[in-house]
Amino acid sequence: MSSKRLVATAVVSSAALLLSACGSGGPGGGDGEFTDGKVTLAVLNDQSGVYKDLSGPNSVKAVEMAVADFQEKYGDDAVVEEVEVVSADHQNKPDIANTKAQELYDREGADIILDVPTSSAALAVATQAAEQQKLYINIGAGTTELTNGQCNKYTFHWAYDTYQLAQTTGTAIAEAGGTDWQIIYPDYAFGQDMDKSFTAAVEGAGGTVGDHIATPFPNDNFTTFLTKAASAEPDVIGAMQAGGDLINLVKQYNEGGYADDGIDLAVGLMFITDIHSLGVEAFEGVQFAEAWYWNLDEENRAWADRFLDETGTRPSFAHAANYSAALQYLEAVQAEGTDDADTVVGHLEGKEIDDVFLKNGKVRAEDHRVIHDVYLAKVKSPDAVEEEWDYEEIVSTIPAEDAFMPLEDSSCSMG
Amino acid sequence: MNEILQYTVQGLAAGSFYALAALGLAIIFGVLGVVNFAHGACYMLGAVTAAVLLDLVGMNFWVALLVVPVLMFVFGVLLERLLVSRLTALDPLYNFLLTFGLSLLLVDLVKRQYGVSGLPYTRPEILTGQLSVGDVRLPTYQVFVLVFSLLVCLGVWLLMTRTRIGMIVRASTEKSELTRALGVDVSRWVTPVFGFGIALAGLAGVLAAPFRAITADMGSSFIIILFAVVVIGGLGSIVGAVVAGFLVGLVEAFGQAYAPTLSQIVIFVLMAVVILIRPAGLFGREENA
Amino acid sequence: MLEIRGLDAFYGEAQALHAVDITVGEGEVVTLVGRNGAGKTTLLRSIMGLHRDVRGSVTLAGKDLTRTPAHQRARLGLGWVQDDRGIYASLNVEENLTLPPVTHVDSAWSLRQVYDAFPVLADRRRAPGTTLSGGEQQMLAVARVLRTGARVLLLDEPSEGLAPVIVQRIRDIVLEVKQRGSTVLLVEQNVAFAASVADRHYVLAEGTVAADLDNAEFTARQGELLEYLGM
Repeated sequence: MSSKRLVATAVVSSAALLLSACGSGGPGGGDGEFTDGKVTLAVLNDQSGVYKDLSGPNSVKAVEMAVADFQEKYGDDAVVEEVEVVSADHQNKPDIANTKAQELYDREGADIILDVPTSSAALAVATQAAEQQKLYINIGAGTTELTNGQCNKYTFHWAYDTYQLAQTTGTAIAEAGGTDWQIIYPDYAFGQDMDKSFTAAVEGAGGTVGDHIATPFPNDNFTTFLTKAASAEPDVIGAMQAGGDLINLVKQYNEGGYADDGIDLAVGLMFITDIHSLGVEAFEGVQFAEAWYWNLDEENRAWADRFLDETGTRPSFAHAANYSAALQYLEAVQAEGTDDADTVVGHLEGKEIDDVFLKNGKVRAEDHRVIHDVYLAKVKSPDAVEEEWDYEEIVSTIPAEDAFMPLEDSSCSMG
Repeated sequence: MNEILQYTVQGLAAGSFYALAALGLAIIFGVLGVVNFAHGACYMLGAVTAAVLLDLVGMNFWVALLVVPVLMFVFGVLLERLLVSRLTALDPLYNFLLTFGLSLLLVDLVKRQYGVSGLPYTRPEILTGQLSVGDVRLPTYQVFVLVFSLLVCLGVWLLMTRTRIGMIVRASTEKSELTRALGVDVSRWVTPVFGFGIALAGLAGVLAAPFRAITADMGSSFIIILFAVVVIGGLGSIVGAVVAGFLVGLVEAFGQAYAPTLSQIVIFVLMAVVILIRPAGLFGREENA
Repeated sequence: MLEIRGLDAFYGEAQALHAVDITVGEGEVVTLVGRNGAGKTTLLRSIMGLHRDVRGSVTLAGKDLTRTPAHQRARLGLGWVQDDRGIYASLNVEENLTLPPVTHVDSAWSLRQVYDAFPVLADRRRAPGTTLSGGEQQMLAVARVLRTGARVLLLDEPSEGLAPVIVQRIRDIVLEVKQRGSTVLLVEQNVAFAASVADRHYVLAEGTVAADLDNAEFTARQGELLEYLGM
């Protein structure tokens, strides 16, 4: 059979790759100010699956925009001439993320990895970063573990996390009178984390959570879960699903007519790409936490216009956050004149930043949580939409200091 | 009590999608001996086509319910003529691999063209809201899906039992070689039957469009459940596919209600139990197994 | 009517038939006798075009069938009754009868004639085919090819596993078919049954024709044959 030959080829070629990796990634590389004479930024995220649209290839574009802006700003004064952007698809699987991260750091010479949605995958990459002593800035994953029990010196958490989502949405709705909750969450790390965070936030604001209904993931049929949740006649059903699962759930929530019974839907994590795909009608009035909105002010809008030119679509907060993280990393490299990881980490720790994404931003040195202003958003009614992607109305701004887990609650200790 | 009724309707509505698609899968397997792994992708294609036609030419749901299955039929006929027929003389594994590869290709093509976030779809006004039965309210759309697919299954059953075409399909499903030796040109029916099976998957996709996320991946987990359905019903058994489709829908709904995290595992436990007790499935004949 | 010349049949590497020559004249009833594994069923399947791994020629009424697919061979007048009778469980008795298309209108039995000849089939016309008894299924299988008007019947062990009274009934049918001018090639292990209906006999051994006997010779050497067949 030809399969035998196939296996043989695979073995030979992977052996060859291994040898070449040994040749280039050896210990002799750290003598100058820049390893390999250049800076390499790697975007590791979902290039083909459920999280492709909300981050994916367009985040690679956003990072390339940051590189272009950096080079334009400093021109000949830039401390490093060559800045390369590479990307890889981790398919939202922790084992693949782990292998890819290792490859990116070792073989591709990546100085920093960006993004990595899916919490379990992000935790795997954080572990790699610590071992390789190279930077990792998380954007796509929401787990608070990255800045708590599993924090490390080389990992930063840039955009959002489950605590902040719950703090924004759970607290706001409970304080506005939606005190009796039922929570439906996908039964994996992120969903369980969200369930806990929302429960704490709702209870903290004087509300109660009845049932916590775990659902399979992925799942296309939520009708029975919704019936079950609605039978307790709550004020609010909190849905912690993401991506396609969330769309399934919202369609079936609308189908069941629960809104007419006065049972509101609160969504734990939603991206503007979700609203775009399902249409404003389906989400009208739904409140959710937004880490950044493209049409908030002139600065955001100007950047979003550039992004539109590059990609043909408006940016989600993840796209903007990838841009911001890449730009601030390059700024740190410029300031220090080296891509040495410890030096760059030292530069970033405690730094206060204001850019297109980070408003009143600060990199907390103690747990590497990047805090910034976030928003409670509400999906507009179809009549109020003035142009494509104009879907959100910002209800309130939650100041950076209030939005994220207080430092004294963090269990992080940088060893 | 109210909840029990609601769960039942929800289960049967979910089962409707399985029953329609499994029916197509069973007919294709019966006549061609091909396990069509691309069936989930065809279900997805049905939903995506409905959404794209709505967007491009404003085709409404009712028209799509007719037009999309016809398009899928044509797609199935082309598929059979251009690819599947070239491999039918070989080990069935070749066609299994072909359709597996095809499903990956279709999913990626749709992703490339339409992304992964899904496509919007508006359902007709008349199917929104709820129906009240006593003091129980049932979503109109679920009731519609259930009634509609029962009618389609009934129609297919009549086609199978009351027409000469149906007789030939049943005969070649049961004994393909003998049927040829009795002077029936089975190969003449192979192409339309394949197209028909694909059209049923596409129809299930159109029905899903208003109710589920229309994404390139929507068929990927669907096909796995679908295989469980045809194994439970008995490979190639037409009645078995329909009954098992609704049964699996019910098991899923009550599983979700009483053992949420186990609701998908329960389906495969059911499959295992059926295989242990009746290896050929609930309605399968031992000699075919 | 039916001529087989130099027929070799293979199963992969193994050769099941070696240069078989058989001739069946119009209106003749000819049997093929031989032990299990002698190649009788393979020969019938090769004639029908179901076994494709063959060399040699099959000619029906002067027409070469070598490249003709099975369903066309049936339409040209070959009526096959396979050894397990081939009754469809998912078709009722009448559907079993009407599934094969009528190919020769002048010699075809009408449904009415079939029911007159086999009243039991008329009584059970709506019942699933496989709910009939073994003998009834055999009648149904024979009636099915009679209804098409097939000019040459290929019967694979029609008496196998049936009670003597039923075998008697099958014999009557074969004789009646013969009387109507049809041609029959009959595979049999039941030597007495073969002798009572046939004009000529071929003895098949290890894939070759070992003897070609007329009925008188066959009857005379019946004892020897029985011993040879191990009965």
